[in-house]
Amino acid sequence: MNSSLKKPNLSSVTSINPDGSRYKIHPADVSGPWTRWRRVAAYALIAFFVILPWLQINGHPAVFLDVADRRFHLFGLTLSTQDIWLFFFLVSGLGFTLFYVTALLGRVWCGWTCPQTVYLEHVYRVVERWIEGDQASRRRLDDSRWTGEKLLRRGGKYAVFAVLSFLIAHIFLAYFVSLPHLWKMMTHDPVENWGAFVFVGVFTAILYFNFTWFREQLCIAICPYGRLQSALIDDDSVVIGYDGKRGEPRGKATLKDVGDCVDCRRCVQVCPTGIDIREGLQMECIGCAACVDACDGIMEKLNRPKGLVRYDSLNGLAGKPRRIIRPRTVIYTLLLAVGALVFLFSASLLQPATMTVVRMAGQPFFADTSVIRNQFQMRLFNKSSGKQQFKVVLPKEPHGLKALGLDEEIELKPQEESLHTLILTMPAGEFEDEFPVTLILKEGHGTELTAKLVFLGPAKK
Amino acid sequence: MSAPNQEPGSPTKRPHTYDGIEEYDQRLPNWWLWTFYLAIIFAVAYWFAWHQAGFVVTDEARMARFQEDLAKAKAAATPDLSNESLWKQSREPAVVEAGKATFLANCSPCHGADLSARIGNTPLPGLPLNDPEWKYGGKPLEIMATVKNGSPDKTKGMQAWEPILGTRRIGEVVAFILSHHPAPK
Repeated sequence: MNSSLKKPNLSSVTSINPDGSRYKIHPADVSGPWTRWRRVAAYALIAFFVILPWLQINGHPAVFLDVADRRFHLFGLTLSTQDIWLFFFLVSGLGFTLFYVTALLGRVWCGWTCPQTVYLEHVYRVVERWIEGDQASRRRLDDSRWTGEKLLRRGGKYAVFAVLSFLIAHIFLAYFVSLPHLWKMMTHDPVENWGAFVFVGVFTAILYFNFTWFREQLCIAICPYGRLQSALIDDDSVVIGYDGKRGEPRGKATLKDVGDCVDCRRCVQVCPTGIDIREGLQMECIGCAACVDACDGIMEKLNRPKGLVRYDSLNGLAGKPRRIIRPRTVIYTLLLAVGALVFLFSASLLQPATMTVVRMAGQPFFADTSVIRNQFQMRLFNKSSGKQQFKVVLPKEPHGLKALGLDEEIELKPQEESLHTLILTMPAGEFEDEFPVTLILKEGHGTELTAKLVFLGPAKK
Repeated sequence: MSAPNQEPGSPTKRPHTYDGIEEYDQRLPNWWLWTFYLAIIFAVAYWFAWHQAGFVVTDEARMARFQEDLAKAKAAATPDLSNESLWKQSREPAVVEAGKATFLANCSPCHGADLSARIGNTPLPGLPLNDPEWKYGGKPLEIMATVKNGSPDKTKGMQAWEPILGTRRIGEVVAFILSHHPAPK
């Protein structure tokens, strides 16, 4: 096993050896304000993730993607299958938010909020540190022969990892089946819910593999956002950078005529992806700011100003003016606003029921000497989770237009669909020419559905 | 195309440069290669299991089985239809009740909720169904045929209901209509 310290370079990924084997990265402990705030943010996010299925809004969990019933509850808003087109704006809005944040703040998503980082840095590595000790002890453990102690520590760590993965997989499933149903499935024979059981098993295995072994490889080789970011940022995006003008040339603290960097390599030791930030912005950097805290700690001891490694734009690091308003931030803001506005506008127009009215098969109209008749078929669907009562309302104009059938209120249970025949008649003497009819369906709770029809009849000579 | 500038100590480069762009020739991560090897192994196993050994049920076989199930389910859902069975159904309250619901939603606008084809004195478009007169035949199977296929006179406006309601519900509607008539001795 090769776990001696490796020197990062720009031409290869540190975590992959030249022969293709894996080089295991053991980041050193680091502390400082960024690390502290990152931990606070991570635990807040985990709490958010865990609490959401328990929180009830409008009688449903705050987020409940009810795949079985094809209904999606989002913070009080309930979407049915018929409303899925709205997700386009939700997803594209989130996409542009990511673009926007990246153009402005680089990979702040990766370092602060991505589940991969949140769970790896603030849960799994915390457990690893607790069971296997600091990076030097972990390296020693890697290199040591298999002893009882190694077996105990490794086994214990992997057991805790497995339990954690199992818990996360269950909470994740709760978003799709709700907690009461999850509990029911957990307390019943797996055979009864084979699909859910396999899902949790596979998802647990994926999480376990990812957080136990795969780790930073996901960010480096799998994540599409990680690759996209080089196209999304420019020289004014905030990234983590090393102030070469101040730091170079590197030299011992006792020397004169050298820069502020004392080449202590703390920034390299703490990096979870194994890069040397002093070589500039690299694709492996997830913007976690561990090196910022590491360097600031050293600078403090040396009584030198902090910020040799800091959050700054490439222009800022080069001593040029910093800009926030650029074409890309403006365009992303506009696209973001369009998506958000369309989503909000459409969501506000959502109706808890749908009505479709089509002309009945056969002749378009029926006429005799006294009356002209148009026949329609009306399909109603109650999307809401309560009972609904509908009443058909005809326009007052033109005079003589009457509806047959549907005098009674139509009652629909949740998710119930029903079919009705609607006959419109008009005395033949009062019919002039075909005319539009707006049919209104009133629901007891104030909902109004409308359908535009055309009343047809014989052409006047 | 020109040869790249090989620097000592850095990974070897591919023997080409395009517009000054050079390319390192580095080994892929082993885990990455393994995804490739596993894909090959899977492909061979899949090819063998699916196309050669027939371990896996093919789509064709599965579709044939679904068609069979469908035909069976259809046959099971279609009641044994005869004049006698329809008369018998018309005396079963559950069937009549179901037929009534369908009738009220779909048929009553023309035939009236009480089958008289009138509201008060106003005639409705349909024919009355509560009298002993049957324009297109009054035997249960004849009534059923009219509902299924629509009025034989296409200018009258009764459409074919089978595509919309299905055989089972039409049987229920016919049972509901027959429940207004005395059964033959």
